[in-house]
Amino acid sequence: MKILSKEDFSDFVNALIKDDSLDVIGVKSKGNKFAFGPLEEASELRLDYDVTLLPPKKYFFPQRETLFTYNIADGSSAKNAEAKPSVIIGVHPYDIVALFHMDEIFKETKSDPHYFEKRNSTIIIGVNIQKMSKWNFSPYMGCATVDYGYDLMLTDLGNRYAISVGSQKGGELLSKYAKNITGALARDIQLVGQKKREIVNMSQQKFDFPIEMIPELLKETYEESGFWEEHAEKCLACGSCVLVCPTCYCFDVKDNPDLALENVERVRTWDGCLLEDFAKIASGENFRPTRPTRYRHRYFKKGKYLFDRFGFISCVGCGRCSSNCLPNIANPVDLFNDMYHETRSMGVQLAPAQTPEVNIQSEGNIDYVPKLATIVKKVVMTANETLFEIKMDDGSELGHKPGQFAEISVFGIGEAPISISSPPTKKGTFEICVRKVGNVTNKLHTLNVGDRVGVRGPFGNGFDVDSLKGKDLLFVAGGLGIAPLRSLFNYVLDNRKDYGHVVLLYGCKEPRELLFSEEMQAVSRRPDVEFKSTVNWCPDNEAWGGNIGVITTLIPQVSFDPNKIHAIVCGPPVMYKYVIADLKARKVPDDHIIVSLERRMKCGVGKCGHCQINQIYVCKDGPVFNYAKIKGIPEAL
Amino acid sequence: MKPKVAFFDFAGCEGDQLQVANLEEELLTLLGQVEVVSFREVMKEHSDDYDIAFIEGSCTRLQDEDRLKQIRKNAKIVVAIGSCATIGGINALKNYKNLDEVRKTVYGENAKLFDTYAARPIDAVIPVDAYVYGCPIDRTEFLQVVKSLLLGKKPDIPNYPVCVECKKNENICAFERGQFCVGPVTRAGCNSCCVNEGTVCWGCRGLVDNPNENSHKEVLIKYGLTVDDAIGKFKLYFGWQEAKR
Repeated sequence: MKILSKEDFSDFVNALIKDDSLDVIGVKSKGNKFAFGPLEEASELRLDYDVTLLPPKKYFFPQRETLFTYNIADGSSAKNAEAKPSVIIGVHPYDIVALFHMDEIFKETKSDPHYFEKRNSTIIIGVNIQKMSKWNFSPYMGCATVDYGYDLMLTDLGNRYAISVGSQKGGELLSKYAKNITGALARDIQLVGQKKREIVNMSQQKFDFPIEMIPELLKETYEESGFWEEHAEKCLACGSCVLVCPTCYCFDVKDNPDLALENVERVRTWDGCLLEDFAKIASGENFRPTRPTRYRHRYFKKGKYLFDRFGFISCVGCGRCSSNCLPNIANPVDLFNDMYHETRSMGVQLAPAQTPEVNIQSEGNIDYVPKLATIVKKVVMTANETLFEIKMDDGSELGHKPGQFAEISVFGIGEAPISISSPPTKKGTFEICVRKVGNVTNKLHTLNVGDRVGVRGPFGNGFDVDSLKGKDLLFVAGGLGIAPLRSLFNYVLDNRKDYGHVVLLYGCKEPRELLFSEEMQAVSRRPDVEFKSTVNWCPDNEAWGGNIGVITTLIPQVSFDPNKIHAIVCGPPVMYKYVIADLKARKVPDDHIIVSLERRMKCGVGKCGHCQINQIYVCKDGPVFNYAKIKGIPEAL
Repeated sequence: MKPKVAFFDFAGCEGDQLQVANLEEELLTLLGQVEVVSFREVMKEHSDDYDIAFIEGSCTRLQDEDRLKQIRKNAKIVVAIGSCATIGGINALKNYKNLDEVRKTVYGENAKLFDTYAARPIDAVIPVDAYVYGCPIDRTEFLQVVKSLLLGKKPDIPNYPVCVECKKNENICAFERGQFCVGPVTRAGCNSCCVNEGTVCWGCRGLVDNPNENSHKEVLIKYGLTVDDAIGKFKLYFGWQEAKR
């Protein structure tokens, strides 16, 4: 531990500011509040602050950030300039822990280069809390003081700062820019220890139970819809609680063209799961449409889902959500206390949550820049659906598994997740069957052979073709659900001897909406496939000789051995529960039912939060799921 | 060929068209993308041959409906600009009063010469394809909408409240400054411009799709407004929308 007089500390900060190669950021006053901002003078620093309006995460994961820019005409892209090294002065311990949470989240599976570039070029100078906001409960979360995550940590000792050096970078910064540093005396070290002990007793909030119970408490309360409706009744869905949160990381991605319509920025902006359209997809389906379900999702995300995945409750107790909620319903302490008392009154015995087994792997970086590809064939299938055959410009294979999806960019418009319709056995190109529903897909329909698109992926898990080998297969496709199923179905046909009896049931609303009709006719003539199709209704002016009725009316028409058959189901959200119920009635075991689900898969890499079904990221853990594994997940079906 | 655009005004102050005229340098770049064939505020020429019609102002009398219907017929795309055209705006304040008295207050003895009916946004009369909210409109958002239309994209207008932008901008909440704000129920997209300048959100962009009005009225009252004043806060811009809900 080092000691620097306050005067010498001021000189140190001013020396940092004078160095043009550094961005120096610190806590300054803003009205009667505080905010991190660029420092022009050491005297602007307010290290006696209680809490800042926004946490320092804005410097690593900004409110608005250009991921890259590209040219509309040819799709060629340019990367951003490199981040300038910076120093952030005055970060409270809870915000340091929050950054540690953000690190884990942005590192999982694949690292987010935009976040880590800024994180790695920033030096964090922390400060121990001198005043605590009345909403702060960081001592309960174990985040009021911290022994890691900083380069330097200051403790105010009246006329001097005690400085703990947390990293080599921190030590070097100090010796390069500070003068008259002395070693801490035993008295100073003792004083710092005493201050830290005092901080732990500063909170005016009070949990009525040990916070280790939070994950279990949440688990017991999920189904108590009355509890959530009552607590969320006043929710304005304004998103304030999540926008000010130091551990919230959900984002949206949008394309912003210049006025000359030549170049486009692909921009990432903060988003929030409390906002109404957060889980809404282009077709209009909203997977979390009500305020209580979104309100519940926030608490589950912090207290259960991230705990199960990473082993920590992703709340540091800064109290920003509480202080920013006008109807005063966002204070986690109040909510969890209510939950605790309600659960106790119901007679539920709770134990602290078992520390989950955490197995976070990270390999390589996320590339948000799509690869260029060209449309080589376009087949209009119905009024709303068109099949595109696409070839990667660099001659590479997409390299997908059946059931995976890709993020397709239409230049000038944006990016959308689209399932791959062709089997990997088809080489050189891949196919997507696209319905006009939103901006990207509508514009895609106007593109022609020779036009360029961008491709990221493949993403998702896909079907496990090996485990299905030797099994009888029952494909159940509703409407556009045939698009992802076709990648597996055609793969099976291309490897026909590896699989047993194959049945395809395909239904759509009316005859003119049938997709792949020629292919289906060919399939119907195959002796080694049982094929049945249906339409919900047939208008007078359309011809249809087949079955009329919803897809489930086909299920009784086929015979199969429930123990040998594996059903693969994909269709509109409403279809699953009916098909699954009928399959179960036919004694098909749960783990023989495989579904492919649709959600708002914005980033494709398990970061943006939009496709989340309870604890699951559809883009990463799915979109293919075994029914036995998701039947207990309430938001899934 | 560049799309032809025309501007029209109904009951309003023409302040939104002024925002367009004030685009200055950007206006020149914009003119590289579109051909303006009618814009009373900046040019004297007029043509009825246009692709995109921008309409400012609300419809406040029956005879204006014919003119609106003609615009709809001529244009491929109709864009409502400004509060009066998109949500009825402050014109709809008169809808709370007896319309005969309103006429008398404005026109005195000649009142019977001037027709009026409840003020309404353009989409109460003709279908509207895109909206640029605000009183006045935000120039950046106007350009955003124009770019989207030129690229064949549905403009991306937020369905979340102004609070989102206030938080991102690190504004001190108006309520914490002792003021009263309707930002928590008002559609964002203005980059919280009024609150950024130290004042409050008046609600000029209208309500979000599903506002929690009761809760916000409670908030206004909790922070010290009378019930009448809280209701008044909602009347200023939300009159037409509230009547419809």
